[in-house]
Amino acid sequence: MEKKEQKRHQHKHSGPKADKKNRKKEQGTEPERDERKRNPRAFSVQSAVRMAKTFHRTQDIKTKKHHIPLVDRTPLEPPPVVVVVMGPPKVGKSTLIRCLIKNYTRQKLSDICGPVTIVSGKKRRLTFIECNNDINSMIDLAKVADLVLMLIDASFGFEMETFEFLNICQVHGFPRVMGVLTHLDTFKNNKTLSKTKKRLKHRFWTEVYQGAKLFYLSGMVYGEYQTQEVKNLGRFISVMKFRPLVWRTSHPYVVADRMEDLTDPEDIRLNPKCDRTVSLYGYLRGTFLKNKCQVHIPGVGDFSVADVSFLPDPCPLPEVIKKRALNVKERLLYAPMAGVGGLVYDKDAVYIDMPSGHGSQQQEVRPTTELVQSLIGTQATLDAKMAASKVSLTCLMFSVLIVRKQNPMESREWDERAQRERRRAVFADEDDDDDDDDDGDGEQESDEEEDEEEDDEEDEDEEGVTTLKKHDKTAAETAAPPVKKQKCEVPMEMPAFADSDDELEKSEEDESEEDESEEEEENEENEEMEEGEPAKKSSGPDSGLCSEDDDEDEEEDSDTDEDGDGTVKSKMSSKHPEEENIDTDDAEMGYETAGALRWKEDLAQKATEAYLRHQLAAPNLRKLVYGTGEHINLWDDSNDEEELGGLFKVNRPEKSKKVRADAMDCSRFQPDNSHDWDQEEVRSSIRDCFVTGKWEEDKDAATLLKEDEELYGDFEDLETGQVHKGGNDDEINGDDDDDEEEEAPQVKLDDDEVQKNKRLEKKRRLKERFDAQYDDGDATYFDDLKEEMQKQAELNRQEFEDVDDEIRVQYEGFRPGMYVRVEIPALPCEFVTNFDPHYPIILGGLGPSEGNVGYLQMRLKKHRWHNRILKTRDPLILSLGWRRFQTIPLYYIEDHNGRHRLLKYTPEHMHCGATIWGPITPQGTGFLAVQTVGGIKASFRIAATGVVLDLDKSVTIVKKLKLIGYPYKIFKNTSFIQGMFNTVLEVAKFEGASIRTVSGIKGQIKKALRTPPGAFRATFEDRLLMSDIVFLRSWYPASVPQLYNPVTSLLMPVGQKETWAGMRTLGQLKHDLGIRNKPNQDSLYKPVVRQVRHFNPLHIPKELQKALPFKNKPKQMQAKGKTPRDLQRPAVVREPHEKKVAALLDALSSVYAYKNKKARAEQHAKHKEFLKQKEKQEAERQKRMKEERKKTYRAMGQKEKKKLKSSLKGASKDN
Amino acid sequence: MEFEGCNCFRQRLVLSTLSGKRVKIRNIRSKDDNPGLRDFEASFIRLLDKVTNGTRIEINQTGTVLFYQPGLLYGGSVEHECNVQRSIGYYLEALLMLAPFMKTPLRAVLKGVTNDPTDPSVDLLKVTAIPLMKKFGIDGDGLEIKVLKRGMAPAGGGEVLFTCPVRRSMKPVHLTEPGKIKRIRGTAFSVRVSPQMANRIVDSARSILNKFIPDIYIYTDHMKGPCFDPTDSNLYFSSLFQGGCVDSTNQSLSLLYMTLGQQDVSKTLLGPLSPYTVEFLRHIRDFFQIMFKIEQQKPGEDEQKGGEKVLMTCVGAGYSNINKTIK
Repeated sequence: MEKKEQKRHQHKHSGPKADKKNRKKEQGTEPERDERKRNPRAFSVQSAVRMAKTFHRTQDIKTKKHHIPLVDRTPLEPPPVVVVVMGPPKVGKSTLIRCLIKNYTRQKLSDICGPVTIVSGKKRRLTFIECNNDINSMIDLAKVADLVLMLIDASFGFEMETFEFLNICQVHGFPRVMGVLTHLDTFKNNKTLSKTKKRLKHRFWTEVYQGAKLFYLSGMVYGEYQTQEVKNLGRFISVMKFRPLVWRTSHPYVVADRMEDLTDPEDIRLNPKCDRTVSLYGYLRGTFLKNKCQVHIPGVGDFSVADVSFLPDPCPLPEVIKKRALNVKERLLYAPMAGVGGLVYDKDAVYIDMPSGHGSQQQEVRPTTELVQSLIGTQATLDAKMAASKVSLTCLMFSVLIVRKQNPMESREWDERAQRERRRAVFADEDDDDDDDDDGDGEQESDEEEDEEEDDEEDEDEEGVTTLKKHDKTAAETAAPPVKKQKCEVPMEMPAFADSDDELEKSEEDESEEDESEEEEENEENEEMEEGEPAKKSSGPDSGLCSEDDDEDEEEDSDTDEDGDGTVKSKMSSKHPEEENIDTDDAEMGYETAGALRWKEDLAQKATEAYLRHQLAAPNLRKLVYGTGEHINLWDDSNDEEELGGLFKVNRPEKSKKVRADAMDCSRFQPDNSHDWDQEEVRSSIRDCFVTGKWEEDKDAATLLKEDEELYGDFEDLETGQVHKGGNDDEINGDDDDDEEEEAPQVKLDDDEVQKNKRLEKKRRLKERFDAQYDDGDATYFDDLKEEMQKQAELNRQEFEDVDDEIRVQYEGFRPGMYVRVEIPALPCEFVTNFDPHYPIILGGLGPSEGNVGYLQMRLKKHRWHNRILKTRDPLILSLGWRRFQTIPLYYIEDHNGRHRLLKYTPEHMHCGATIWGPITPQGTGFLAVQTVGGIKASFRIAATGVVLDLDKSVTIVKKLKLIGYPYKIFKNTSFIQGMFNTVLEVAKFEGASIRTVSGIKGQIKKALRTPPGAFRATFEDRLLMSDIVFLRSWYPASVPQLYNPVTSLLMPVGQKETWAGMRTLGQLKHDLGIRNKPNQDSLYKPVVRQVRHFNPLHIPKELQKALPFKNKPKQMQAKGKTPRDLQRPAVVREPHEKKVAALLDALSSVYAYKNKKARAEQHAKHKEFLKQKEKQEAERQKRMKEERKKTYRAMGQKEKKKLKSSLKGASKDN
Repeated sequence: MEFEGCNCFRQRLVLSTLSGKRVKIRNIRSKDDNPGLRDFEASFIRLLDKVTNGTRIEINQTGTVLFYQPGLLYGGSVEHECNVQRSIGYYLEALLMLAPFMKTPLRAVLKGVTNDPTDPSVDLLKVTAIPLMKKFGIDGDGLEIKVLKRGMAPAGGGEVLFTCPVRRSMKPVHLTEPGKIKRIRGTAFSVRVSPQMANRIVDSARSILNKFIPDIYIYTDHMKGPCFDPTDSNLYFSSLFQGGCVDSTNQSLSLLYMTLGQQDVSKTLLGPLSPYTVEFLRHIRDFFQIMFKIEQQKPGEDEQKGGEKVLMTCVGAGYSNINKTIK
């Protein structure tokens, strides 16, 4: 990142270029200006077609840039930007957050636990959330993230989590994604480093977009990233711009950063598993949140909100923008889940976050008298109020959590390190590269890696120890970190007395002198009251009675109340909303006077103004409509709710009420007949409604005409050359003159102003008209639309701008950017008992009717990286809208005729339809599906993605059903068929249906037969065979199982949150239970046995035989039969004498044979000898003959030579 | 949500259908001599059932308790025999509120009484509601109310065709300038009396209206039927006296469309709120958590435009038609 000193450009002073430049300078800029004239051919139309094409192309590009303009609904003071830091484990997420926080706020946060909100700049706040390696958290956070910092361990490469997260993002509207490469210091070789960087960058680009930002964090210094690099990253984050995403701009949501259990402790004592009332705090994002609306908490379920209230911003932006940078006091840090929150104001209590060592000694700031007052003013039961106003031991709880978490985390990671299999994402096209890299220094790298890892672990061990030590220290004494916390408390608009109160409290406890301290407290209070609110005490009873006063009284009361209520917000939940608003105003004013207030200085003034205006402008209509209840009837009688002594209501007799409840339901407004339209005066009261009546000043025809004259009055008669001036012109000139004359006297100033305004108005009008004329050609539909949207946005901003917040939230709902407290009743107790701040809690607001359940039709595609196709009726976990839930989809495909045919499996590479029973979600919402959220079984967990198309209360999927029958009697084209149906009635339903045989003969069902039941007569287009099978193709409506099972992962015990398992698939069940279906025997493969082929003898007809030549005639060669017995020679049985003779003969013959053999051998040897001799002789002979031949040939040759010579001679002689 | 009594019966069911919240109405005329739902209300429920899919309705034996779980608005071609106790206007008003949020464009044929003194007549709705709906972006060929036949009180026999296209969302409106009246058009009709009667009505009306504006044309529509309706021009004046940008019968319609708009500010100038509208506002708050900012405008001193006007402002609920199919 270091910047290289670059050589500056040197201007040429000599040479051809310099000459050219000089020449140009001398000539001036003329040639440049008129390029078209200088070179006309370059700009002439060469080809009309090409020109048209280029024109089309530019136009196409232009229109492609257009998006449908949306009304800009971003709030003036936007909520903090949600920055999700995501990555596989041990990649440096916490370190990065820590570094960024340090970079922005100069504070050190040792433990990142829950969302951390900081003020990063003059106009921007950031909320950092760490995403742990759990698909539930990944899904939830992808839905709320504005910016994702995607950490990638460069020494390892991409892991599957990264790609899974990107795909999740893609479905739920793509937030900004910034990649951050860490562990770059493990590369010792510079070349490999750059190669790896490049490879990762390109892969990242293909996934996000070309040119997506990828950051490199090289190396750690003392367990932190390098300051300069973090600073750069921080800069990028703080200038990032965000696009509005459809889902988020139409739904309010809160990322809770604080949770309090408001349940009555007595109830918990009696029944530890009782449902809890919980209040959740956080910045409201998205859009307006209505009170009493429905919310979904991903991982828990649907709940309706009991109450929403807005609180002062715990992490406000600096209120004045004058300075160039923030000072230290303005760099706030707010992370209640991590134990940094300082002072938090609630509706009915003030929470102080103490250094963790003193957690047990937390005290309420409210003075005792205040408590009593609040109790007087209540209408709810004492118990409930006591419970609500109790001090919550947030800090203590958190610190305990932290300590407990710290140790096992460390140890677990040790184990993990050894065991965890990282899910590397390898891509086919990258394999080669990898190999190449590996070839070079694969071993070395891995060695390095290991070393590095070990180092890291050691480092972190040390860190863990140090943090633990810190905790110990804080427990013992207030050490350095608490001081820092105190620092960040200072700007939290803490009234002065709160601090002092605390100290007092401490000292009290040390000294145990309660009486004295109380006195002191009271003194403190009194001081406060003198400073800010003089009549605090008187306010209590007033407020108590207010609700029973009637309307007019109430207003008066509120006037008196205005100076009533004090710094500490007492409980006045029973009060009228308007009054409450006033109270809060006062409270705010109180803060201001206390001096520590820094937000919205002129708010109080504004509020009073608004209030006055409100009183003037809106009389009782609002109250009459919305005021005290349904039983006020405007036009009936105003004495309806008469009261006795301002305390008791007159109870109306039952009858009259009922009559009203059952009144005629008619929208017609019967006009009062007080006006007698025959009278002239009465009639004239509506005279101006007609065109013939009087017009307003600015629309009156006469004035308009006059103005027209002003504008277009001047004209020159071209024929005569006479110049006519507009009538008013002279006057105006005169006026101008007058103005000049009358500049001095102040009395005429008004007149001046009027004139000035008139002139300005005239100018504006002129300009408008000009614009209208001039732009008419250019103004497109798109521009109009855009302008309209802009106007609407402006109106949206302005309409309620000056209305006080308390009233405003009633009209608009709570607007995004507010810090709200949402009270939710009836949460399951596991939510509180198993609370883990590392898992995000999101309150997602639901639109009207989004809390209902119905059938959803969606377009679905199996993810191409998921390695199995999905099966119909296998449960699937969907992430849709805010929700994660398990459901049973049925897949279908739409046929050409619009029929939805059930599929058994999703197609491999194609979209298909899916119908589920699930929560009603607007069409066009994207979703993703996973098979399980527990553990990592699949290589790529996202099974499918898609979009919701339609919502309905019924299903239209049909399943193909073939009914099979067999003919049992066949006439010509008519057959009787049985086996297809069971009763006559069934057949009757299918009369006239078309049927078909397997061989393709079409037919029709005609009529049922009486016997056998279910048989029928059918006709076919051809005669059937008995072996034919007849089938009827029909469609059977499939029903979608009504399973909607929200994933309640947040209710799981701590440490087991990622083990949620819902319904198992059929395959899993069978696998788990060891059930194996016996396959159909016919479907099994058996060894192929081939029979030996047996050919029949060739039979040649006699006629043919006769005609054949003899050669080809079959020979009459019968096989020789057995020799008959009489022809068989009998066996000879010898006499002993004969035996002897035979033996002698045998012996003799063998002697003879031996002799013969011997003689033959001799003979053979002799012959061999002879042959040898003969060969020798032959060889000699040959030799001789050869020499002989040689001799003769030589002689012949010589003779020939001689002859040739002589002939040559002779010839020469001749020549 | 639970209610008591049959007051605002239509509002509750319509808003329940649009918001998807189930409704339980108890004590319907429980103290009456003739307890329970009336025939026209039953007919109305039947109409709702026809235009929706998956609606669950439970009524107890006496008809004093009604449980209504809304389904999804389906639309399509619907033919309904309206009960003659109330005119078609009673049914049509509710359909006007529901029609733009259907799955398929609605084409409803309603049969019954076209004009009666209690409910707004079909003609009135035709000339007031349709232009109002156009302001909210519901336009095109499909939007129309057509009187096919006229029918009078006891026998009925009238027929009205209502068609309406569907929309994804409503446009925000700013109807703060009432404008001026340029011309007056009207319909005088007579049923089963001498056709002269209609002409006489026209004459009498003209005589009064002519004092304001000369451009008047009143159509006469003669049909055979049991009685005739004495339309009074005085009525017209008083409505004018009260009127803002939207006439009193359509106040609730315009307020509903404003509520169901996108999350933008809408403004409408109304005449004095009718009790019906006031009830409607309360119900809107209950069903959609939307409150209107109500500002009273006092008439100017030299202006002669009738009575007080009320400027209604609200931020839409960001409602989108969840019934419409996307392809």
